Amino acid sequence: MLLLAPVAPALASQVLRISAIPDQNPERLNRLYGLLAKELSDQLGVPVKYKPVVDYGAAVTGFRRGDLDLVWFGGLTGVQARLQTPGSKVIAQRDVDAKFRSVFIANQSAGLKPFSAQNDLQQLKGKRFAFGSESSTSGRLMPQYFLAQAGVTPKDFASGRPGFSGSHDATLALVQSGAYQAGALNGQVWDSRLKEGKVDTNKVVLLWRTPPYADYHWIAQGNLDQRFGAGFTGKLQQSLLNLSPSQPRQKTILELFAAGRFIPAKDADYANIEAVGRSLGKIR
Amino acid sequence: MLELRDVTVPGRERPRLRGLSLSLKPGECVALVGASGAGKSTLLAVANGLIQPTSGSVQWFGEQRLRRRMRSRIGTLWQDLRLIEGLSVQHNLNTGRLAAWSWWQVLLNLLQPLESRPCAEALAQVELDASLLPLPLSSLSGGQRQRVALARLLRQNAELLLADEPLAQLDPPLARRLLQLLLGLAMPPRGLLMSLHRSDWLEGFDRVVGLRHGELLFDCSPEALSAADLEQLYS
Amino acid sequence: MSPAGQLLLPALVLLPLLALLPGAWHGGGFDLIGQFLLAAVQPSTDPALIVASLRGIAVTVAVALWSWLFSLLLGVIGGVLSAEVVSRTLWGCSWPALLLRRLLAIPRSLHELLWGLILLQLLGLHPAVAVLAIALPYGALFARVVAEQLDGLPRRNLEALQLAGAPAPAALLMALSPPLWPQLLSYGGYRLECALRSATLLGVFGLGGIGADLRLALQSLQFHEVWTSLWLLAAVMLALELALARLRQRWQEPNRELLVGFAALLLLLLPSSQWLELRWQVLFSPWQWPEVLPLWDPNGWLQDWPQLIGSTLLLTALAALLAVALLPLLLLLLGPGRWPRLLLSACGLLARLLPPPLTALLLLFVLQPGLLPAVLALGIHNAGILGRLGLEGLDALPPQPAQALRLAGSSPRQVLLVAGFNGIGRSYLSFGAYRADVILRESVVVGLVGAGGLGVVLLESLSSFAWGEVLPVLVVYAVLTLVGEQLADLYRRRLLSGPLPREGCSPLANS
Repeated sequence: MLLLAPVAPALASQVLRISAIPDQNPERLNRLYGLLAKELSDQLGVPVKYKPVVDYGAAVTGFRRGDLDLVWFGGLTGVQARLQTPGSKVIAQRDVDAKFRSVFIANQSAGLKPFSAQNDLQQLKGKRFAFGSESSTSGRLMPQYFLAQAGVTPKDFASGRPGFSGSHDATLALVQSGAYQAGALNGQVWDSRLKEGKVDTNKVVLLWRTPPYADYHWIAQGNLDQRFGAGFTGKLQQSLLNLSPSQPRQKTILELFAAGRFIPAKDADYANIEAVGRSLGKIR
Repeated sequence: MLELRDVTVPGRERPRLRGLSLSLKPGECVALVGASGAGKSTLLAVANGLIQPTSGSVQWFGEQRLRRRMRSRIGTLWQDLRLIEGLSVQHNLNTGRLAAWSWWQVLLNLLQPLESRPCAEALAQVELDASLLPLPLSSLSGGQRQRVALARLLRQNAELLLADEPLAQLDPPLARRLLQLLLGLAMPPRGLLMSLHRSDWLEGFDRVVGLRHGELLFDCSPEALSAADLEQLYS
Repeated sequence: MSPAGQLLLPALVLLPLLALLPGAWHGGGFDLIGQFLLAAVQPSTDPALIVASLRGIAVTVAVALWSWLFSLLLGVIGGVLSAEVVSRTLWGCSWPALLLRRLLAIPRSLHELLWGLILLQLLGLHPAVAVLAIALPYGALFARVVAEQLDGLPRRNLEALQLAGAPAPAALLMALSPPLWPQLLSYGGYRLECALRSATLLGVFGLGGIGADLRLALQSLQFHEVWTSLWLLAAVMLALELALARLRQRWQEPNRELLVGFAALLLLLLPSSQWLELRWQVLFSPWQWPEVLPLWDPNGWLQDWPQLIGSTLLLTALAALLAVALLPLLLLLLGPGRWPRLLLSACGLLARLLPPPLTALLLLFVLQPGLLPAVLALGIHNAGILGRLGLEGLDALPPQPAQALRLAGSSPRQVLLVAGFNGIGRSYLSFGAYRADVILRESVVVGLVGAGGLGVVLLESLSSFAWGEVLPVLVVYAVLTLVGEQLADLYRRRLLSGPLPREGCSPLANS
């Protein structure tokens, strides 16, 4: 039973624990957040530790339980986490996040052509369709929302339900292979895979880009000022906003984030996401 | 049908068989006697192809190589019976037919045991009731098992019959009747080579072969056997 | 029907599966499967990745060991207290044992993954949560085995000691513990292998360790990195299996080496739990229920239960039949030689190494989503587990009956079929019945391939934090599992008794 004695909780709370939803490959996440932890630690003068999480829901729960102090959430998971964690608040997003987009893609063999009118999403009825993770904003929530606006519900897909690939890359791979005839994913992931030459355009075609919506953002616990000193949350926000492409390490961080800069954000920016989440039953 | 010439099988301390020659013709019944450890079981194992002698030669039905098809013509009644636990009596009897069956008969037999009537007849020959057929082997007594093993030999319909002390666990009157059954089987083209633990059951055999320390002591008719011969056997 | 017949009959399940195959085959990701297989010979050797993988393995092994230890502890205590013979000896009545036995059915009825997902929501993401998630159902299962073993032991010695005036606890200890040990140790060793697989699977669902690395690398199609983790996991799993197989042969007579090894293991565990940050204190911090999330929601109970349960059961049945059928069938097709055996062992190791959700993802590269990839993923994984037990069983059979058949002219395949399959038939099938039970609980993990069923609903409600919907699904799962357990028990009992058994000569005695 000696084993089970707590390891100095007071000490542990002096470390700023940052994390992120696992929407990319782990190696990249480790590199990115390792760098960011060093950067924040240098700027703020407190130890910063990156705690990897492999599940969207786990990130929300970890945040609610106070095991994580600052988390890079997706739109939906951020709102879920914030609603479950009194006092927490949005502090920043990327410049690209204010106007984020999803893409609908299809396998060439599905006989679908690119379209520009949202109502053409109806062509997806009866197709095998894949979302990303259940909790993904760009890979599930917003695509499902735009589908619903066009009059397509999940029951309209082949076998009466969509599939959940678990990640954007997996959606792309599964649509490209033909397991699913069509799917929706993060527009940014699509663009960068296209640029890296990892998309076989003979096999997969971009159907439609969604209208913009607010997505990823940083959420901080409400008790950081008590734990790290008055004004800490403000300083934390400022150091994120200060990241600039002119300094080498910061440049790498921003590149890995695929962002030009971080910009301030507030809870209200995500009211829309919350409404969509509620309408689709993902927020109760 | 069986011809052993100068057969030697090495053992840990001394050879289990040394320079042994023996032959068996169709229709012949040969009894194998000797003290325990004299090499009776080894000789039978050479005869059914389990053990290959290091020197000397063995011929079955005139051939030196024992092909798989030929093996089905050799039937062995093992000392340790070698029945399959977990199977019913009828399934065990039918394992004697495996080599003769086509693959679909083998598969079909797994689902529903085939040839109930021949199985019942084989049981009747060893004085067991047909009601035993569906029972699991594990529910039989030692004596019953021994008779099931004999019935399996009957099902195999082999020509060269080898038996290693098949009557050990039976009460004497029954053992005598089954011995008569075995002897009766050995009509041409069949022949019987059988090891015996008792030297007072030799009547009915055509020849008696005595072994001591892996060597042939005598090979003669039961009538020609003298008390001195037997005494030498167990000394 | 003979045991071998019962062993081969499940192979009929291949007919509908093969019939489904042409319709579900799309083959579009065949190059991906190729890349995946090619990557096996060139795993990533990036030092940082190897260090991360080693750490992942260490966490998984630590979780497995700790959860195993706790489950043994829980199991022995719970098992002794829920054994009728103990209850009757100590208290003179058997209802306390029977009551406890019923209560222990509850933790047992949920798969460790479900426990993991629930505790994850309640306690956050810590390997310590995974330890608890595995220890609870395993402990309850172990308790059941202990109780059954205890009640199955002959009581003559106990009665003799009691009549001689020995106090009840001492009499119990003296009379019942010696015959109990070997069986418990052998079963307990097997549970450690299970714990390693469970710890890997829980990692896939977010509780840390190598499973997490595997999932993330596979989902982002980093096959070289996947194989770095897989090879490490394979080495650990194989080493564990071989070590346990060796120990099992010696467990009949407990020896000093064993105790020393065990003590060394414990000594290693103590510092490792600190180093790996298992963080036990989370288990004792107050359990927070998120107030905003109501547990009771009448709407949550309104689901299309017949359809959900039906598709879950169909998936379970097909996968279980496939799992049972694969080994006998492949053995018969490939023949009983040494190389086919080696090939089968290697395939089996890979099959049980890869958690089913990841197998399912791989299958989707060539198959359309639906029932088939789900059945294959679960079936293949469990065939890997059953297959090893089957091969071990074949090796342990006495060689004489097979020899007799061979000498009577049967072909090697016939010998395998008649002596081999009939020899292992009953124990293999009774284990298969138990696996069916496990597969039912595992069906939750292949929701991703779109097979439908309860798993999909569960993961969806969990991701919405809709506890009002999670609860009914858990209740249904628990009921299904308990009913399934009863059926598996009935089947096993029927199987073990055989046709028209006679008293006192149950084949169980020699199995």
